[in-house]
Amino acid sequence: MALYDNKYWLLSHIRNSFISTDDTSMCETVMVGESKQVREHFFNKEPFADPIQSDEDDDDDLGSYEVQLDAEYSMRERTLTAARLEKLENYSRRAAKMKHIKWESRNSRKDDNHEQNSDLFVVKQVKPEDLKSIAKKSALATVIEQSKNMPLNPYTEFARFDGTGQIDIPTRKYKIFLTMLPEDQRNYPINVCCVASAKIQELIGLILLKFSITYSGKYEFRPATDYGLYITEEDGEVDCDFPQLDPKECIAKFGFVYLGLVEHKEPPREIICERLVETSTSPSSSRGKIRTTSSSKAEESKQIKNDLIMDTHHKAMEAPLYKSYKVFLVNKLWLFNIEVHLGISSEKIEIDPIHHKNSKLQLVKQTPVCHSIDSIASCEETETKGSKGAFRVVYSNDFSTSSGDRMFQYSHSSVNLSSTLQSSPSFKHYDFEADKNVAEEIVQKINFILNLRSSYSRKEYLAAKERKQLGKKKSFKYLKS
Amino acid sequence: MVPEAIDDHDIILATGGYDHTIKLWDTNTGTYHRSYQHAESQVNALEITPDRKLLAAASYQHIYMYDLVANNPNSIINYEGTSKNVTCIGFQEDGRWMYSGGEDGRARIWDIRSKNAQCPKSFDTCQGSGANLSPINCAVLHPNQVELFIGDQGGTIYRWDLRSDNIEQFIPENDVMILSIDISPDSTQMASVNNKGKAYIWSLTANVDSSTSLKPRHKFEAHKRAALKCKYSPDSSMLITTSADQTARIWESDEYTLKQELTRDGQRWVWDGAWCADSSYVFTASSDSFARLWNVKSGHIGREYAGHQKAVTALAFRDVLL
Repeated sequence: MALYDNKYWLLSHIRNSFISTDDTSMCETVMVGESKQVREHFFNKEPFADPIQSDEDDDDDLGSYEVQLDAEYSMRERTLTAARLEKLENYSRRAAKMKHIKWESRNSRKDDNHEQNSDLFVVKQVKPEDLKSIAKKSALATVIEQSKNMPLNPYTEFARFDGTGQIDIPTRKYKIFLTMLPEDQRNYPINVCCVASAKIQELIGLILLKFSITYSGKYEFRPATDYGLYITEEDGEVDCDFPQLDPKECIAKFGFVYLGLVEHKEPPREIICERLVETSTSPSSSRGKIRTTSSSKAEESKQIKNDLIMDTHHKAMEAPLYKSYKVFLVNKLWLFNIEVHLGISSEKIEIDPIHHKNSKLQLVKQTPVCHSIDSIASCEETETKGSKGAFRVVYSNDFSTSSGDRMFQYSHSSVNLSSTLQSSPSFKHYDFEADKNVAEEIVQKINFILNLRSSYSRKEYLAAKERKQLGKKKSFKYLKS
Repeated sequence: MVPEAIDDHDIILATGGYDHTIKLWDTNTGTYHRSYQHAESQVNALEITPDRKLLAAASYQHIYMYDLVANNPNSIINYEGTSKNVTCIGFQEDGRWMYSGGEDGRARIWDIRSKNAQCPKSFDTCQGSGANLSPINCAVLHPNQVELFIGDQGGTIYRWDLRSDNIEQFIPENDVMILSIDISPDSTQMASVNNKGKAYIWSLTANVDSSTSLKPRHKFEAHKRAALKCKYSPDSSMLITTSADQTARIWESDEYTLKQELTRDGQRWVWDGAWCADSSYVFTASSDSFARLWNVKSGHIGREYAGHQKAVTALAFRDVLL
């Protein structure tokens, strides 16, 4: 059939038989321009073409029979007008239940007014003694003082994501199964309405808030980050084939109504591993998180372990890919740092200064520089100060010149290690500063790459470092004795 | 936890603001237990009726009443006729009538007891800009229940005697707006704050015909930026002022020395405040979408009420003395 090229036949074939499996309805668009032609063609060819029938067919210019049928039997999309009408109707129904009182001026009946005034506006004598006798306590103060040591609900911050009672903003309704409840209580989901702009993490917090308000049994609540949302069947069985919904994602991204809230025995952590091979072959069992559902715990924990392995695996896989970071090049001489783009790939590391158009501090000209990855000897974190992390990239000077790359134009930037590391290529380093997370990520990424390609300069550097350490120990001993 | 003697209905805290909902709170746990839909506009002011059965919300062109007893999320009474925002509302002590002030420059008295629901009285401010009346920002009823004090955007305070319709005007400062007025429950003092953060205090004395005469008493800078609300404590010993400078301040009402500053990082504008019946705690409503309960003595936050999506601009509170 692939070779059959009669377009009328093919179009007719699509029209009559393929449509029902075409969910994308792309073939509809293919056919739009053609249908009339096809029809004419076919009806002309038909030996007993019924002129009346063909006329009828002309009325509808739709592509396929399928769609016509659909249109007739399925719900028609509501028009804006219909929605507005319904809204109006709702409003008027509500208004009917409301009592309306209109302002009416009563200037015309002055005499009446006077009579009423004396009735309505009666002077009350204020007796200060009444007020002074307040030795009593108010109800509020009593309640608050009685529950001084009451632990406050830790989830109240999530209350603002509650979508109930909201009118003007989009909300989403969920049925949530709480898997941490005792067996006999978890058969029915709780209804949660959440504003559509919330993140999964915030939805979890809101669920816990509702849960903590209504649940009176014994259950130890934990921080919202210790829980995960999983896709769940309508009967409350958590679907183990899918990972938890990403806590950082917006809830509007997921279209599931039934979800299961699962407590993780241990919160999932960022895993920083030194050696790729090690982690992929021997996943540590202690890091696994265990769900408290009754069904097949072993299988679940296995799957979760796999998740974790895949996580590091992904990071290692992504390491050679080019990625650019915005970091600060630490500059001890000039007392201020230069903002640079640090581009890392499996081939090279590029340092590209960011030029600020309006900056008046253009005293220092920094030219872009590029090092072959083979010249990079090591990368390690040096210190973390609060949210800032500093890290050092050590490179071999010989290499970068031999590779013919552009050189850094200033010479003071690096402290030459060659004095301590004799008989080795001279090593220099850059010090960078960035956000702690970014610094960690960069160090991890460079180390992944370095581990993948054990270059000569790296071996040299490690060897030199070892020698140096030995030397230090020796000299220390010598001093002692 | 709640002692038996205290009925649920003894403590009512309602908040509203820009997110088109009005929430009723469980003051102790910090969670809300009811949410009313207030679809058409923001909430300018909230007030609970003296019988604690209804909650009135002043909003654009309407005053809506919500049922505090039955579980109905929609309003049950709608007072209409104001052409602009209704900015303030309040009730006569026995709930016989309600007063309101609006940006259309008219203060109204609504008879809420009688069946035919007629409005016996209104009062217009002087002309403001152009042909429009000067918008009313605030109104407060004197504890003698027959005098209404009204503050407008032109900086004038009016004393409106409801019995005789006599009007008296006071202009404490030129080119400012009066943003809030309050009279101490013992009816000895009146405070007003303006958009420059200045507070003015008057001494009040009752005349023979039980009308009030005012005598300027004190003037001080309560805040660096606009002061939005002032309220005397039920025992008349303190005054709270809330402000756009992200603080609320509590002042001793004899010398007007600062007793406590209630502030918190990121609190933004503090719009409204309310005292509990024994003056030991105070609530504030602020633009960071929180209502807060503060201990007056220590200045610490007792509870935080989170749940609004946007700024909270109005709150109403009632409790009882045990």
